[in-house]
Parts: sequence; structure tokens; C-alpha cells
Amino acid sequence: MAIQLQQVSYTYADRSLWRQTALHDINLNIAKGSMVGIAGATGSGKSTLLQLFNGILKPSQGTVKVLDVTIQAGEKAPRLLPLRRRVGLVFQFPEQQMFEETVEKDLIFGPLNFGMSPEEAKMRARQAMTDMGLDLALLERNPFRLSGGQMRKAAIASVLAMDPEIIVLDEPTATLDPLSRAELIGLLERLCREQGRTIVIVTHRMDELLPYADQWALLKEGRMAFQGSGQELAADPDILESCGLSVPHSLRYWNAVARRFGLEGEKPCLTAESLAERIALLQAEGMRDRHE
Amino acid sequence: MNERLLLGRSIETGSWVHKLDARSKITGMLLYLAIILISHSWAAMGLLAVFSVTVMLSTRIPLKYFIKSAKPLRFLMLFIFIVQILSVKEGEAWLTFGSFSLYEGGLRLGAFSVIRMLFLVTFTSLLTFTTTPGKLNQGLEGMLSPFKRLGLKPDRLTMMIGLALRFIPTILDESQIILKAQASRGADLKELPLKEKGRMLVSLLVPVITSAFRRAQDLVYSMEARGFRMDAPRTRYHRLRWGTADTLFVIMFIIMGVAVAVL
Repeated sequence: MAIQLQQVSYTYADRSLWRQTALHDINLNIAKGSMVGIAGATGSGKSTLLQLFNGILKPSQGTVKVLDVTIQAGEKAPRLLPLRRRVGLVFQFPEQQMFEETVEKDLIFGPLNFGMSPEEAKMRARQAMTDMGLDLALLERNPFRLSGGQMRKAAIASVLAMDPEIIVLDEPTATLDPLSRAELIGLLERLCREQGRTIVIVTHRMDELLPYADQWALLKEGRMAFQGSGQELAADPDILESCGLSVPHSLRYWNAVARRFGLEGEKPCLTAESLAERIALLQAEGMRDRHE
Repeated sequence: MNERLLLGRSIETGSWVHKLDARSKITGMLLYLAIILISHSWAAMGLLAVFSVTVMLSTRIPLKYFIKSAKPLRFLMLFIFIVQILSVKEGEAWLTFGSFSLYEGGLRLGAFSVIRMLFLVTFTSLLTFTTTPGKLNQGLEGMLSPFKRLGLKPDRLTMMIGLALRFIPTILDESQIILKAQASRGADLKELPLKEKGRMLVSLLVPVITSAFRRAQDLVYSMEARGFRMDAPRTRYHRLRWGTADTLFVIMFIIMGVAVAVL
């Protein structure tokens, strides 16, 4: 298991009048090399959950196990630096994540902290920029002079440059244009499938992740409302609405097709292409049936 | 960082002090300041203690929050105490070590200074605990309005104070987020050696300040977009209302002042 949460609760401003419990009794297992989507209405505790994964927040109750590091509530945390090299966290607002004067300095910040040589760090920074489809000329720019989309990509690149085993992203596609969104999801999928990295993505656009995610976790008011595959979600879309989420188009289309042609038991086709092919296949099957 | 910050945070319990007009509370606090300055005896200090604690308890805010507000000043208080002991040579000498003597007067004045400071800080935090920043600001504007004739513009002043107060939690939150971003990329303030810590804090200043300027700029635009003009008359969302309780509150402080002056 890459990430394992056992009965984890998290309370902000514990022991004060302003205490607020953001997560209640969360159990979550994320397998190594899998791609996991996390969804939930605003304020359901998604961002809090992510910050538990690299020890930025420590659980108020329960146990968080990430790779070989165990963080237990009430106990002194182990040294977290090695963990943070292996778990890259992209925050929700990129403009709050960049703090150096140039994009390059921001990108090599992580690698240098984790003991890479400056040359190696710069090389990794260039690689990450290329992976994110950013022009290398931007390296010398001030991060705050970038456009919203570029800044988002640069923030993701700064985490990719650390070469983490687990990549955790908080709404990474929020301010990207449709083309960049598809490219980013494609890149993350390659990192997952080809290099065996674990990818965790918080998203409001379930549609773009549904075809790729191995597993979904839905949060509702700080509690785990659902955990399972996209196929299970497709079988019971009502759970989404009870979490305050709308049912993604791809699931609605699939369910409509499945109900119409009696395909409920099949693996859902969640991209336009695969759905079209499945429908085309129906016609072929129908012809064959008639011939027999 | 955020959890420890008590400055400027109101704690809603709905007590009678919460319902008072901000102006009466500000007046009360000014009178309290005067009372503290004129109390010069143990009896006055005792009376002051009973009065202060009673009022603090009546807000239904746990006493420990008041005490916490004085905590940052504990070293200053200790320092003042020591200076008083060393410098004041009145009354009889109680203890003598070689050339140095501990005088009764020095001890008394030292204790008075510490008690005064303690009460001043804990008691006046009652104002911010029971009044939201907005109401406080409006109260201040109300108190300053007589100075309009002298060419002073209280609404400008309070608008400035209001905006500044509003930005404190925002800037703290922002620095918290940058700290988190730095920590998750391998620069955890808690785990760094002292020298590195200093360097990190400096590198925190630049982005926090630039983002504060960016926010200020955005704020100006958004205020102008909603028709804000400096010095234009505006409707108030909350009205200031002076009631009997407010008069009684102020009278309470006046009586207290007279009592302390007599003792």
C-alpha cells in the first residue's frame, strides 16, 4: 500500500474555541502504482485529506501510513524530510505555492533541498518544464508574471522536478484550458502506467478522470461516503448526488446506453470514442443475431 | 501560528457586554486606563482586581483567554519589575547583599507596575473579545466624529484601520500556506537548523509582501467596481445605538474611578 489511513480524524485549532473538525474517522487505502480520484462538495475536507499524505498536517486521531513512514496521532512524528521527497504535493492555488523570484529558482528549490546537485536540479527543472509543455524561456521569468495557466503548470512542474513516487494534486486542472487539461491528465496517466508512480487527484471535473482512475473516494462533510472503482460508481450514481456532486456526463451517457441495450453488467465505456465503438459493436452484434 | 493569535478576534457568547455599544466600551476602556494610573495603594489594587475579574467573568468568556492575551508581555513585565527593584530606594531595606539592598518601596512599586500592566492588557482585551472589528471601528468613528469640525476625517481613518485589521488574518493565512508549500518541498521550518530557519523566514517575507500588495490592488479595484468613493456619504449597515446599559456601563467605571482615587 502506498497510502493507508486508519480511523483518521483531523481537527483544526484543537483545544480552542474555534476548533473545527474537518475529517471524521477516515479509512482509506491507496495501492502503489494506482491512479485515484478524490471528489466531494466544497468544504468536504478534500484539501485537508491531501495534506495528511505528506505530513504537513498530522492526524488528530488515528494512523496515517505513507510508504514506510507511520504518523500516529499523539505521538512525535518521525523525520518527514525523506517522506516529502517521495510524496509531491501540488497545492490548490499555484500562486500561493510559488515563492522564489524566478521560475527556475522555484523549480530547483525542492530538488536542492533533497540533496541534488545544482546541475542535476537544473536539468530536472528543464525536464519538468518540457513535460508540462512549458517554454524553457519562461525559466528566467518571475512566477507572478506568468498567466494563470502557465503558473499552474509551473507549480506542477516544481513538484515533478522532485521526482516523487507519489504525486498528490489538488484540483490541478482548475485554471487550465481544455487542451492543457487533457495533456496534463495524459501526462499523469503515463507517469502512473509507465513509471509505476501513484497519482492522487482531487477534482471537480470527474469526467476527465473517470476513464483513467482505478479508484474513487468520495467525501461528504468530512466523512468517507464511497470508496471503489468507477464501475461501481457507474452502477450507483445516486451516491454522487447524495454527496452534493452532479453525475458526470460520461456516466450518464453510459448508463443511458446500458439501460437501453441491457449492458448493465459490462465495464463502462467512459470516453466518447470507446462509447461510440461499443455502440457500433451493438449494431454488428444485432446483425449477427438476425443472421443466426 | 493562527491558533495562538488572539489579537483582534472576537469571541461570541452573547453576554451583556457583547450587546453594548462600541462607543461605551471604548469610553469604559479609556476610563479604566485612567483608573489604573491613579491607583496607588494595595487597597485600590485589590478593589481593581475584584472589579476587573467580575466584569471579565460576566462576559462568559473563559478567563484563560484573557490571561493568554498578557502572555506575550511576560518578559517585559519581569524586566520592569527588576528595574524597579534595582532603582527605587525608598522605605526600609529588607535584605542586604553587600552593596545592594532590597527596599520595601522598590518591591511595592515593582509589584504595582506588573499588576497595572497585567490588568491593563487582560482587561482591555475585553474590548476586542466582545466587539467584532467592524463594530469596533464604527464605534471609533463615532467617538471621533466631534473632530470633524477640526478638519479631521474620521471615516478615512477608520476605513484605513478597518482594512488593515481585515488583512491581518489574510496575511497570516497566506504565510501559513507558503510555509506549507516550502515544507512539502523539503524545507520544513521545524526541522531546519537555526541559521537556515532565519534564511527561510526572510525568503518568506518577499512573497508575503508582494502578495499583500497584489491583494491590496485587487481590493481597490473591487471597491471601486462597487461604487466606493472616498468621502462620499454612505449608509451604515449597523447603526450605533446608545442605551441605558451603555450609560450604566460608563457610570460603573466612573464610580470605580472615584473609589480608587479615595483609597
